[in-house]
Amino acid sequence: MALAPLDQDITLDQLTLDPYPIYRRLRAEAPVMRVASAQRTFLTKAALTKLVKDDPVLFSSNDPNTPMKPAFRAHTLMRKDGDEHLAERRAINPALTPKRINSDWGPLYERLAAQYLDRLPRGEVVDMFDTLCGPLAARILAHILGIPEASDEEMQRWSQRLIDGAGNFGWRPEPFAASDEANDQMDALFQRLAPLRTAEPDGSAFSVMLTAEYPIPLSQVHANLKIAIGGGINEPRDALATAIYGLLDNPDQLAEVKAQEAWGKAFEEAIRWVAPIQASSRLVTADTELGGFDIPKGETVMTIQASSNRDEDLFENGEEFFVFRDKNPHQAFGNGPHHCAGAHIARRTVGKIILPMLFDRFPNMTLPDPAAVKWRGFGFRGPINLPVVLN
Amino acid sequence: MVQLIFVHPDGSQTEVDALEGQSVMKAAVANDVDGIVGECGGAMMCATCHCYIDEAWADRTGPREDGEEDMLEGAASEVTEHSRLSCQIKLTPELDGLVIHLPEEQL
Repeated sequence: MALAPLDQDITLDQLTLDPYPIYRRLRAEAPVMRVASAQRTFLTKAALTKLVKDDPVLFSSNDPNTPMKPAFRAHTLMRKDGDEHLAERRAINPALTPKRINSDWGPLYERLAAQYLDRLPRGEVVDMFDTLCGPLAARILAHILGIPEASDEEMQRWSQRLIDGAGNFGWRPEPFAASDEANDQMDALFQRLAPLRTAEPDGSAFSVMLTAEYPIPLSQVHANLKIAIGGGINEPRDALATAIYGLLDNPDQLAEVKAQEAWGKAFEEAIRWVAPIQASSRLVTADTELGGFDIPKGETVMTIQASSNRDEDLFENGEEFFVFRDKNPHQAFGNGPHHCAGAHIARRTVGKIILPMLFDRFPNMTLPDPAAVKWRGFGFRGPINLPVVLN
Repeated sequence: MVQLIFVHPDGSQTEVDALEGQSVMKAAVANDVDGIVGECGGAMMCATCHCYIDEAWADRTGPREDGEEDMLEGAASEVTEHSRLSCQIKLTPELDGLVIHLPEEQL
């Protein structure tokens, strides 16, 4: 067999601005493609991305030599496999179950959502991205994690710096200097709060990890909190913004969603249409074969779940936002052992609490100029502004 | 072949011929059975393949696997003593005719 074809034309700027036409072409012409600018082999069909994620032995997450390690100052569970990954994952899982939300946290999240909605101005153009989606995602996460003492601004700044550092494949010093500063601030806060969360267990992630019968090392407790900060704000923020956009841009669907109270479906469709995490990397541990091409050991494949989520084999009119699909087997939360730990939380907070409350409170919300909404991102993607009028 | 009978919340049934060694979740997904999602592919990380094993079959499907109990807490529908993650039930000839009740929702 031959190596996969090599593309030398696709640029990272093109992918950041609008990757979808490129993915559509790759799905049709070259679903396994080495993309020079990204130094990765892109996989753009749903069957291939799922197969890779479901086989963590052949396609490993364990790659300590990525910029994630300096960015987080830790080898995190995201980049581990097998029992090592499982131990750290299981340590935080109990804080992230629906049962926990339903029994302990639901009323608090509803109160927080109501507070943030209350302060939005009516009758004028307001950017929901800055005023609601980001800050509310940050506030809810701070409570889930057990660090509500951190401000919305701090949570968002730390998150962005961790992400920028982890994506610093050019190994430039500035992003690491910024993530170092964030790490110092987070570590100081964690150290200050640890005795409190130990003395009075509150079901938060921090508390659960500190008070476990067999706790994981403190370094990994901190690493898990940082992973949740880095990976738990942008995603619900972007999912919420995308859902609001999709519904406002399709008033017929919005009316039907309201009539059927199909907010959960609307959430699923939003993250299918524009997956907040668009792509993931896996290290190939042995010579293998994908889609008819040789994939040598040591290569890094990139599963483009953003593309899988519009794969013609699974979705009719996948490029369109359409809430009422018969089936929606999207891969926005990933597959395999690294399936998103926050999936249940996101489904409940965004799908079952925030979306219905928002449209109930502002039934005549409008998006005056859909074209004014800018979308950005290759690894992570969503709108970067969302100017609406609330009524 | 091992025959499986999935009972939907409305009482309707879907019969599936599954392969020995396959998990109940994989058999359901491969045969497009509504009501089993199996989002994580059997890694016991998502609880979207939750099912209720018919009482008459509980002895033969055996106890929950290590870690399954914790993950079941993530199930969207009510968890009962009959609740299992269907990805953790491997099919053997003894399970021919297994009756599996599906929950109201998985997400």
